[in-house]
Amino acid sequence: MRNIRFHQLTLTAALSAAALFLAGCETAPTTRTIDAKGPEALNTSSINSQDWANAADQLVASLLSSNALERAPVQPAVLAVDRVINNTTLSIDTDLLIKKIRVALTQTGKVVITNTMGLGERAVVASEAAELEEMTTGKKQKLKAPNYTLYAKLIQQTDREGSKTQNTYAFQMSLVDVKTGYTVWEEERTIAKLSKRPTVGW
Amino acid sequence: MKPCLLLLAAGLLAGGCATTVNTVERAQPQAAPSYVADKRVVTDNSLAATFRVASVNQATVSGNLLKVQVAVENMKSSTKALSYKFEWVDASGMSIDSPNETWKQVRIQPRETITLSTVSINPRAVDFVLKLKE
Repeated sequence: MRNIRFHQLTLTAALSAAALFLAGCETAPTTRTIDAKGPEALNTSSINSQDWANAADQLVASLLSSNALERAPVQPAVLAVDRVINNTTLSIDTDLLIKKIRVALTQTGKVVITNTMGLGERAVVASEAAELEEMTTGKKQKLKAPNYTLYAKLIQQTDREGSKTQNTYAFQMSLVDVKTGYTVWEEERTIAKLSKRPTVGW
Repeated sequence: MKPCLLLLAAGLLAGGCATTVNTVERAQPQAAPSYVADKRVVTDNSLAATFRVASVNQATVSGNLLKVQVAVENMKSSTKALSYKFEWVDASGMSIDSPNETWKQVRIQPRETITLSTVSINPRAVDFVLKLKE
């Protein structure tokens, strides 16, 4: 009798310990505001907010260091943003990169960005506005042709070895002289993310 | 004697085979950098002992934009990660917000010297602050 009771107690203690172990130390979920550009931002295997800003900064620094915009026939140079091709597996809005580059280049005072060419939706709005202006004033509106177009492409390469996966994202950008068709500046910047899968699953 | 050998072996095993970076360059450099006299504020002595700021130089690009380059050396015998951020200041001492100046991270090999550089996107920038964090 005493032996059975001892076994029951042992079983209860073991079950309680297992339940506590499985439940873990539960804590209330918390949310806090962090600096999206700061070191606290989550680092994932995809492109995070810091990576976008980093890529944009490096591309803009390279373009400005090349002095390509200084050789434009007019100052500030008229720039149109052409296609941005996303060849990664990520479903992303390419404005996360392009908008940062547009903002930075506009702030330099070296370029003005035209919306009459390039990205579809904005170009339509601009041409409709020009038509409306023509109907109102009766004067043909003169649209300035861009001196340069900016073209970008995002590429992802994935390499695996054992439990390690490396995702390398390449940010390619070219500045093309509209008159000559020459590429006057080109750059490629890469960001590599190395992830390790845990060897013991839970 | 034996415990000493075991400790030595354990130390070597834990330390791994860290190799440092050797460099070769021109004995009489042709470049004439414009060095900047800098002021350093150290709040983390461990960070200052790990990373040595070797030089700071500047140039003007695209006519009127300031470019700054800082050479940093990893003084340790293992690869280290360094976070850094540049901030720009105008002639009246006001900080200039720049959308792409964020905390960035680099990994530096043992005894390797790398350069951190940036270009101000605002022509009003005359001064800079570089923040370093381990």
